[in-house]
Amino acid sequence: MLALYRAILSLYPAAYRGEYGDEMLEVLSEVQAETSNKGALARGGCAVREASGLLCGALAQHLRRFASRYDRFWSICSRGRFAMRSEFRFPKATVGLMLVILAAVTFTIEKAKAISASIPHANPPVGHIHPSQFEILPTLLLAMLSAVGAGVVGWAILFALRRSGIQQLSEMNPSVGQRSRK
Amino acid sequence: MEVSEPVLLILLSLAEQPRHGYAILQDTERISGGRVRLSTGTLYGALGRLLEDNWIERCQEQDRSRGRQAYRLTTEGRRNLQREVSRLKRLARLGTLRVARKET
Repeated sequence: MLALYRAILSLYPAAYRGEYGDEMLEVLSEVQAETSNKGALARGGCAVREASGLLCGALAQHLRRFASRYDRFWSICSRGRFAMRSEFRFPKATVGLMLVILAAVTFTIEKAKAISASIPHANPPVGHIHPSQFEILPTLLLAMLSAVGAGVVGWAILFALRRSGIQQLSEMNPSVGQRSRK
Repeated sequence: MEVSEPVLLILLSLAEQPRHGYAILQDTERISGGRVRLSTGTLYGALGRLLEDNWIERCQEQDRSRGRQAYRLTTEGRRNLQREVSRLKRLARLGTLRVARKET
Protein backbone atom coordinates (compact mmCIF):
# COMPACT_ATOMS: atom_id res chain seq x y z
CA MET A 1 0.00 0.00 0.00
CA LEU A 2 2.90 2.34 0.71
CA ALA A 3 3.98 1.91 -2.92
CA LEU A 4 0.58 3.22 -4.02
CA TYR A 5 0.84 6.18 -1.64
CA ARG A 6 4.34 6.88 -2.94
CA ALA A 7 3.04 6.77 -6.52
CA ILE A 8 0.27 9.26 -5.69
CA LEU A 9 2.77 11.47 -3.85
CA SER A 10 4.78 11.69 -7.06
CA LEU A 11 1.80 13.57 -8.55
CA TYR A 12 2.38 16.48 -6.15
CA PRO A 13 4.42 19.48 -7.35
CA ALA A 14 8.15 18.77 -6.91
CA ALA A 15 8.70 21.69 -4.51
CA TYR A 16 5.86 20.54 -2.24
CA ARG A 17 7.10 16.94 -2.37
CA GLY A 18 10.58 18.09 -1.40
CA GLU A 19 9.23 19.96 1.60
CA TYR A 20 6.63 17.52 2.95
CA GLY A 21 7.08 14.24 1.02
CA ASP A 22 9.25 12.34 3.53
CA GLU A 23 7.18 13.53 6.47
CA MET A 24 3.94 12.49 4.78
CA LEU A 25 5.34 9.05 3.98
CA GLU A 26 6.35 8.64 7.61
CA VAL A 27 2.83 9.54 8.77
CA LEU A 28 1.30 7.22 6.14
CA SER A 29 3.45 4.31 7.35
CA GLU A 30 2.37 5.03 10.95
CA VAL A 31 -1.28 5.08 9.89
CA GLN A 32 -0.78 1.79 8.06
CA ALA A 33 0.90 0.21 11.08
CA GLU A 34 -2.05 1.34 13.23
CA THR A 35 -4.61 -0.34 10.95
CA SER A 36 -2.55 -3.47 10.23
CA ASN A 37 -4.09 -5.39 13.15
CA LYS A 38 -7.65 -4.35 12.27
CA GLY A 39 -10.14 -6.08 9.97
CA ALA A 40 -10.04 -6.03 6.19
CA LEU A 41 -12.93 -3.56 6.06
CA ALA A 42 -11.15 -1.05 8.29
CA ARG A 43 -7.93 -1.47 6.31
CA GLY A 44 -9.78 -0.96 3.02
CA GLY A 45 -11.60 2.11 4.36
CA CYS A 46 -8.34 3.59 5.57
CA ALA A 47 -6.62 2.94 2.22
CA VAL A 48 -9.47 4.59 0.28
CA ARG A 49 -9.49 7.59 2.63
CA GLU A 50 -5.73 8.08 2.43
CA ALA A 51 -5.52 7.55 -1.35
CA SER A 52 -8.41 9.93 -2.09
CA GLY A 53 -7.00 12.47 0.38
CA LEU A 54 -3.64 12.35 -1.37
CA LEU A 55 -5.23 12.68 -4.83
CA CYS A 56 -7.34 15.67 -3.75
CA GLY A 57 -4.27 17.17 -2.06
CA ALA A 58 -2.18 16.80 -5.23
CA LEU A 59 -4.89 18.48 -7.31
CA ALA A 60 -5.30 21.27 -4.75
CA GLN A 61 -1.55 21.93 -4.66
CA HIS A 62 -1.35 22.15 -8.45
CA LEU A 63 -4.30 24.56 -8.50
CA ARG A 64 -2.71 26.68 -5.76
CA ARG A 65 0.56 26.75 -7.65
CA PHE A 66 -1.20 27.74 -10.85
CA ALA A 67 -3.22 30.39 -9.02
CA SER A 68 -0.23 31.94 -7.27
CA ARG A 69 1.70 32.09 -10.54
CA TYR A 70 -1.10 33.85 -12.33
CA ASP A 71 -2.12 36.37 -9.71
CA ARG A 72 -4.73 37.93 -11.97
CA PHE A 73 -6.46 34.57 -12.27
CA TRP A 74 -6.22 34.20 -8.49
CA SER A 75 -7.80 37.61 -7.90
CA ILE A 76 -10.74 36.63 -10.11
CA CYS A 77 -11.18 33.35 -8.20
CA SER A 78 -10.78 34.74 -4.70
CA ARG A 79 -12.75 37.96 -5.03
CA GLY A 80 -15.12 36.92 -7.79
CA ARG A 81 -14.58 40.05 -9.87
CA PHE A 82 -12.16 41.44 -12.39
CA ALA A 83 -9.37 43.35 -10.72
CA MET A 84 -6.95 45.59 -12.58
CA ARG A 85 -3.33 45.45 -11.59
CA SER A 86 -2.59 48.30 -9.22
CA GLU A 87 0.44 49.43 -11.23
CA PHE A 88 -1.65 49.86 -14.41
CA ARG A 89 -2.72 53.44 -15.16
CA PHE A 90 -4.89 54.30 -18.14
CA PRO A 91 -2.99 57.10 -19.96
CA LYS A 92 -5.08 60.26 -20.29
CA ALA A 93 -3.44 61.10 -23.64
CA THR A 94 -5.09 57.96 -25.10
CA VAL A 95 -8.55 59.45 -24.53
CA GLY A 96 -7.60 62.58 -26.49
CA LEU A 97 -6.09 60.52 -29.30
CA MET A 98 -9.19 58.31 -29.51
CA LEU A 99 -11.43 61.41 -29.73
CA VAL A 100 -9.29 62.84 -32.56
CA ILE A 101 -9.52 59.50 -34.45
CA LEU A 102 -13.32 59.38 -33.92
CA ALA A 103 -13.70 62.96 -35.23
CA ALA A 104 -11.52 62.14 -38.28
CA VAL A 105 -13.52 59.00 -39.10
CA THR A 106 -16.88 60.80 -38.74
CA PHE A 107 -15.62 63.69 -40.91
CA THR A 108 -14.39 61.25 -43.62
CA ILE A 109 -17.75 59.42 -43.71
CA GLU A 110 -19.67 62.70 -44.04
CA LYS A 111 -17.29 63.90 -46.77
CA ALA A 112 -17.69 60.59 -48.69
CA LYS A 113 -21.49 60.88 -48.44
CA ALA A 114 -21.34 64.44 -49.84
CA ILE A 115 -19.12 63.36 -52.79
CA SER A 116 -21.38 60.36 -53.49
CA ALA A 117 -24.48 62.61 -53.55
CA SER A 118 -22.84 65.16 -55.87
CA ILE A 119 -22.05 62.52 -58.60
CA PRO A 120 -25.01 60.06 -58.64
CA HIS A 121 -23.84 58.00 -61.68
CA ALA A 122 -20.29 57.38 -60.47
CA ASN A 123 -21.40 54.44 -58.24
CA PRO A 124 -23.65 52.06 -60.22
CA PRO A 125 -25.92 49.85 -58.08
CA VAL A 126 -24.35 46.58 -56.99
CA GLY A 127 -25.95 43.46 -58.51
CA HIS A 128 -26.83 40.21 -56.75
CA ILE A 129 -24.01 38.67 -54.78
CA HIS A 130 -23.20 35.25 -56.24
CA PRO A 131 -22.69 32.39 -53.71
CA SER A 132 -19.22 31.72 -55.16
CA GLN A 133 -18.11 35.04 -53.67
CA PHE A 134 -18.45 33.52 -50.20
CA GLU A 135 -15.59 31.08 -50.83
CA ILE A 136 -13.32 33.45 -49.02
CA LEU A 137 -15.04 32.69 -45.68
CA PRO A 138 -13.59 29.16 -45.13
CA THR A 139 -10.16 30.47 -46.07
CA LEU A 140 -10.48 33.27 -43.52
CA LEU A 141 -11.64 30.80 -40.88
CA LEU A 142 -8.71 28.50 -41.65
CA ALA A 143 -6.27 31.40 -41.40
CA MET A 144 -7.75 32.44 -38.08
CA LEU A 145 -7.54 28.90 -36.68
CA SER A 146 -3.91 28.60 -37.86
CA ALA A 147 -3.08 31.88 -36.12
CA VAL A 148 -4.70 30.65 -32.89
CA GLY A 149 -2.83 27.32 -33.20
CA ALA A 150 0.50 29.09 -33.73
CA GLY A 151 -0.24 31.30 -30.72
CA VAL A 152 -0.98 28.30 -28.49
CA VAL A 153 2.21 26.50 -29.60
CA GLY A 154 4.27 29.65 -28.97
CA TRP A 155 2.72 30.10 -25.54
CA ALA A 156 3.39 26.43 -24.69
CA ILE A 157 7.07 26.79 -25.67
CA LEU A 158 7.44 29.96 -23.56
CA PHE A 159 5.64 28.30 -20.64
CA ALA A 160 7.90 25.22 -20.81
CA LEU A 161 11.04 27.38 -21.02
CA ARG A 162 9.95 29.53 -18.09
CA ARG A 163 9.07 26.50 -16.00
CA SER A 164 12.36 24.72 -16.63
CA GLY A 165 14.21 27.99 -15.90
CA ILE A 166 12.47 28.41 -12.55
CA GLN A 167 13.17 24.78 -11.67
CA GLN A 168 16.85 25.15 -12.53
CA LEU A 169 17.07 28.30 -10.41
CA SER A 170 15.48 26.57 -7.41
CA GLU A 171 17.91 23.67 -7.78
CA MET A 172 20.85 26.09 -7.93
CA ASN A 173 19.76 27.88 -4.76
CA PRO A 174 19.15 25.31 -1.99
CA SER A 175 18.64 28.06 0.64
CA VAL A 176 15.17 28.72 -0.83
CA GLY A 177 13.92 25.40 0.50
CA GLN A 178 15.70 25.73 3.83
CA ARG A 179 14.45 29.21 4.57
CA SER A 180 10.88 28.04 4.97
CA ARG A 181 11.96 25.35 7.42
CA LYS A 182 13.21 27.92 9.93
CA MET B 1 -7.92 32.38 6.11
CA GLU B 2 -11.12 30.36 6.27
CA VAL B 3 -11.27 28.17 9.38
CA SER B 4 -13.01 24.98 8.31
CA GLU B 5 -13.73 22.21 10.82
CA PRO B 6 -10.55 20.21 10.03
CA VAL B 7 -8.44 23.38 10.36
CA LEU B 8 -10.15 24.26 13.66
CA LEU B 9 -9.49 20.76 15.00
CA ILE B 10 -5.82 20.95 13.96
CA LEU B 11 -5.46 24.35 15.66
CA LEU B 12 -7.16 23.08 18.83
CA SER B 13 -4.85 20.09 18.83
CA LEU B 14 -1.78 22.33 18.59
CA ALA B 15 -3.18 24.78 21.16
CA GLU B 16 -2.58 22.17 23.86
CA GLN B 17 1.02 21.33 22.94
CA PRO B 18 3.33 21.02 19.92
CA ARG B 19 2.60 17.84 17.96
CA HIS B 20 3.94 16.00 14.92
CA GLY B 21 1.77 14.90 11.97
CA TYR B 22 0.63 11.51 13.20
CA ALA B 23 -0.07 12.82 16.75
CA ILE B 24 -2.26 15.57 15.22
CA LEU B 25 -4.26 12.92 13.30
CA GLN B 26 -4.83 10.93 16.48
CA ASP B 27 -5.72 13.97 18.58
CA THR B 28 -8.16 15.45 16.06
CA GLU B 29 -9.98 12.11 15.97
CA ARG B 30 -10.09 12.04 19.77
CA ILE B 31 -11.34 15.61 20.29
CA SER B 32 -14.01 15.21 17.60
CA GLY B 33 -15.29 12.12 19.41
CA GLY B 34 -14.17 9.82 16.58
CA ARG B 35 -16.33 11.72 14.09
CA VAL B 36 -13.49 13.27 12.08
CA ARG B 37 -10.57 11.22 10.84
CA LEU B 38 -8.35 13.37 8.66
CA SER B 39 -6.36 11.86 5.83
CA THR B 40 -2.65 12.62 5.58
CA GLY B 41 -3.24 14.59 2.36
CA THR B 42 -5.84 16.81 4.02
CA LEU B 43 -3.66 17.28 7.11
CA TYR B 44 -0.59 18.41 5.17
CA GLY B 45 -2.65 20.63 2.87
CA ALA B 46 -3.96 22.46 5.94
CA LEU B 47 -0.55 22.53 7.67
CA GLY B 48 1.00 24.05 4.53
CA ARG B 49 -1.56 26.86 4.43
CA LEU B 50 -1.26 27.50 8.18
CA LEU B 51 2.54 27.70 7.86
CA GLU B 52 2.24 30.10 4.91
CA ASP B 53 -0.12 32.36 6.86
CA ASN B 54 2.12 32.20 9.94
CA TRP B 55 -0.53 30.64 12.19
CA ILE B 56 1.81 27.76 13.07
CA GLU B 57 5.56 27.16 12.94
CA ARG B 58 7.89 24.18 12.85
CA CYS B 59 9.77 23.00 15.90
CA GLN B 60 11.63 19.89 16.95
CA GLU B 61 9.72 17.18 18.77
CA GLN B 62 10.43 17.04 22.50
CA ASP B 63 11.47 13.40 22.20
CA ARG B 64 14.60 14.06 20.15
CA SER B 65 15.38 10.37 19.62
CA ARG B 66 12.68 10.19 16.92
CA GLY B 67 13.82 13.46 15.32
CA ARG B 68 10.38 14.07 13.86
CA GLN B 69 9.13 17.44 12.73
CA ALA B 70 6.61 18.95 15.13
CA TYR B 71 4.34 21.98 14.78
CA ARG B 72 3.18 24.59 17.28
CA LEU B 73 0.93 27.64 17.28
CA THR B 74 2.51 31.05 16.77
CA THR B 75 1.36 34.03 18.85
CA GLU B 76 -0.63 35.22 15.85
CA GLY B 77 -2.17 31.76 15.40
CA ARG B 78 -3.23 31.60 19.04
CA ARG B 79 -4.80 35.06 18.79
CA ASN B 80 -6.70 34.05 15.64
CA LEU B 81 -7.83 30.83 17.27
CA GLN B 82 -9.11 32.76 20.31
CA ARG B 83 -11.09 35.01 17.96
CA GLU B 84 -12.54 31.97 16.19
CA VAL B 85 -13.49 30.31 19.49
CA SER B 86 -15.21 33.53 20.66
CA ARG B 87 -17.15 33.62 17.38
CA LEU B 88 -18.25 30.01 17.87
CA LYS B 89 -19.26 30.76 21.48
CA ARG B 90 -21.50 33.63 20.33
CA LEU B 91 -22.98 31.38 17.65
CA ALA B 92 -23.59 28.57 20.15
CA ARG B 93 -25.26 31.01 22.59
CA LEU B 94 -27.50 32.33 19.84
CA GLY B 95 -28.26 28.80 18.68
CA THR B 96 -29.20 27.71 22.21
CA LEU B 97 -31.56 30.69 22.58
CA ARG B 98 -33.27 30.18 19.25
CA VAL B 99 -33.68 26.42 19.66
CA ALA B 100 -35.10 26.95 23.19
CA ARG B 101 -37.58 29.56 21.91
CA LYS B 102 -38.85 27.16 19.23
CA GLU B 103 -39.42 24.39 21.72
CA THR B 104 -41.51 26.49 24.15
